[in-house]
Amino acid sequence: MAGNTDERATIAHLADEVVPALIERLSNSELGELEVRQDGWRVRLRRGTDGAIPTVQPAQTTMPHKPAAVAHTADHAPRRDQPKGRVKSPAVGFFTLRDGVTVGSKVRSGDILGIVDVLGVRQEVVSPVDGVLKALEVESGQAVEFGQAIGRVEASV
Amino acid sequence: MFSRILIANRGEIALRIVRACRRMGITSVVAYSEADRDSRAVQLADEAICVGPAESRRSYLSAPAILSAAIVAGCDAIHPGYGFLSEDDTFAEMTRAHGLTFIGPSPEVLERFASKAGTRTLLAKHGLPTIPGSGMLRDDAHAMAEADKIGYPALIKPSAGGGGKGMRMVRSARELQQAMTICRSEALAAFGDDSLYLEKWLEDNRHVEVQVMVDKFGNGVHVGERDCSVQRRHQKIIEEGPSPALSPGQRASLLDSAVAAVVAAGYENVGTLEFLLDKEGNYFFIEINCRIQVEHPVTEMISGLDIVTEQIRIAAGEPLSVKQSDIEIRGHAIEFRINAEDAENDFQPGAGRIETYLAPGGPGVRVDSHMYSGYEVPPYYDSLLGKLIVWGPDRETAIARSRAALEELVVDGVVTNIALHRALLGNDVFLSGEFTTNLLDRVGSAAFMATPKAAA
Repeated sequence: MAGNTDERATIAHLADEVVPALIERLSNSELGELEVRQDGWRVRLRRGTDGAIPTVQPAQTTMPHKPAAVAHTADHAPRRDQPKGRVKSPAVGFFTLRDGVTVGSKVRSGDILGIVDVLGVRQEVVSPVDGVLKALEVESGQAVEFGQAIGRVEASV
Repeated sequence: MFSRILIANRGEIALRIVRACRRMGITSVVAYSEADRDSRAVQLADEAICVGPAESRRSYLSAPAILSAAIVAGCDAIHPGYGFLSEDDTFAEMTRAHGLTFIGPSPEVLERFASKAGTRTLLAKHGLPTIPGSGMLRDDAHAMAEADKIGYPALIKPSAGGGGKGMRMVRSARELQQAMTICRSEALAAFGDDSLYLEKWLEDNRHVEVQVMVDKFGNGVHVGERDCSVQRRHQKIIEEGPSPALSPGQRASLLDSAVAAVVAAGYENVGTLEFLLDKEGNYFFIEINCRIQVEHPVTEMISGLDIVTEQIRIAAGEPLSVKQSDIEIRGHAIEFRINAEDAENDFQPGAGRIETYLAPGGPGVRVDSHMYSGYEVPPYYDSLLGKLIVWGPDRETAIARSRAALEELVVDGVVTNIALHRALLGNDVFLSGEFTTNLLDRVGSAAFMATPKAAA
């Protein structure tokens, strides 16, 4: 799965940085289409009737996707999976998982997944994105440090 | 004795405390900010725990974050180092309330010595001559009235903290009025407290301080004095011990009265009493530092004692390992603070990657530094990169060894004040042992560095 992780990182980079920057360029221009190739990836934006359509795919294939979505043709990994889907501890203290939250739970950005108890003060652990909680790396009662990975949310497409 | 100590600090002092823990067989846990993840102390400690982001207020200065880290890491004591939470009586009280030991004075002692004006009054009662000064200044009008009473020149000082921030010497009411605003904002930014007071300014004074250690049974000793007269803007850059400015009689009087006064006033743990020395050799108490100090290695080199270890023992409720009669001051030691700052450009602090770091060696040479080749100096904290401490059987030998050590020291990649130290070692006033606290500012560091001797 190492290659998969790299691909996810690339997708995240494209989705979070490259595509928004390109959309802005395209919007501010008279161009109908804009294409960038880099490291085996190709991003093409085409001005449609209702705005820009960004697509990302391996350079060797071309498969259109629905507007504003960025997807990977191989496994349909959704955008913003890494690193934006990482659930991080906001403080150093003891972690408690919120009742009802389990791997597989559907969550929305800002949902409270648990708390970190800092001398009796509860610091909320929140989901960074809309999606599905795919992994939990910390159990209730366990000590966590600031910034520690608590889990991972796979963003919904 | 403690089994696990949380070290709530960074840089060279965190490393120094890790070393003390190792030597004592205590597990060290370094609390660090995200910006210090790659620091030497984090690498060398038995364990490390991230307590917050780079911003000190949310990491090293956050009492809840530090305490929570100590609790989750299962520590039984917290060493605060210097700066940050080291003299915060509220933090010391919180630490105790959670069943942990604060390695420093008790909250009651910290509170008793928290006010600089109050401490002057207290220690004057116990026999120390003090510098004329004011209480806390309410406003500009109050400051003017107090300054008239004390007389100009006067020194504006912040009630909290140290390191020269919020301090200005003023020679007239007009200067006082202008400087008050600056000092207030500097003090607020540095210590979160803008209370100021005034002190009489002595022309051509020297800064001499006495290291004391007092256990919980009221046994107190002094470990000689240090002379910290080489300063720039009230910030020490070279410290040495013993002071070249004291006669044996003056020294004995200063040391004995200092330790007698703090013991009588109920002080506990290691501490430093700072004095100003005038041209005639009269000394005036100015303030006490209730913590381990940056320059403690000077005292360690001339006494052979490990002051951090003694500090931990005192906090654990053990008696001092030495009596006054056991303490013998031998030879002379000089400490050079190696800072990432540009002495030729208004001491602008630098940050960045240390490309090459090579430490000097040889007899009498000690380096306390968290630097290593490839280390990224974060821009968020003070500019201290380390300390070079050199011992010799006498001052001349210590100076000769210092010269060789400073030539050997290599720090490439960031701007440093090493050239200034080399220049100071070629300065006649320093060599004669007659440096005063305002000399460097008056002459200007650029002038010191431009002397032909320094270039040689």
